[in-house]
Amino acid sequence: MNNRIREHRARLDLTQEDLAKKVNVRRETIVFLEKNRYNPSLKLAHDIAKVFNMATEEIFIFEEPY
Amino acid sequence: MKKAVLVFILAAAVLVTCGLWLFTSKTRLNPMDLLSFGIIIIVVAFAVFTGIKKLDNTRRGEPTEDELSKKILRRASSLAYYISIYMWLAVSYLSGKIKAETHTFIGAGILGMALIFAICWLIFNFRGTRDE
Repeated sequence: MNNRIREHRARLDLTQEDLAKKVNVRRETIVFLEKNRYNPSLKLAHDIAKVFNMATEEIFIFEEPY
Repeated sequence: MKKAVLVFILAAAVLVTCGLWLFTSKTRLNPMDLLSFGIIIIVVAFAVFTGIKKLDNTRRGEPTEDELSKKILRRASSLAYYISIYMWLAVSYLSGKIKAETHTFIGAGILGMALIFAICWLIFNFRGTRDE
């Protein structure tokens, strides 16, 4: 699963720390998400999408394994 | 915050106990004692590292624990337990080959478990966990 968090964060001029505070996680979690080293829970994905005022599937892109 | 302070208190208690053990020891320390002391230092350093991270998060107004940190803890614990089973098997094999007291093997095993957990946690903490 890929995501467009970095892109949308830049669009809203938010730092990783700002976004972390808005969704109540540690900054490291945002770093891991942006590097695709962690797949978030449905709740966190929903919270992040809500901050960007977008649908979850616009932020998180599922890739078919084949 | 409370957890971080507790970690520092425990780390200090372990270091003081080790210091007393080193200074009151009348016999010369053998390589096994030095190895045990080295592992204790590594485990204490790991505890202090996690404590500092928690304090840093608190200072920045972030939660000390979130879904990623809990997941890393869970995965590191399960992997460490899995590896520890093989370690105890090795310890039980070595106990028949090496002449030492039972408490030495149990102590080494407990320290080994702590070290395995610290290594697993560090790996997941730096590599991440994607579950795919």
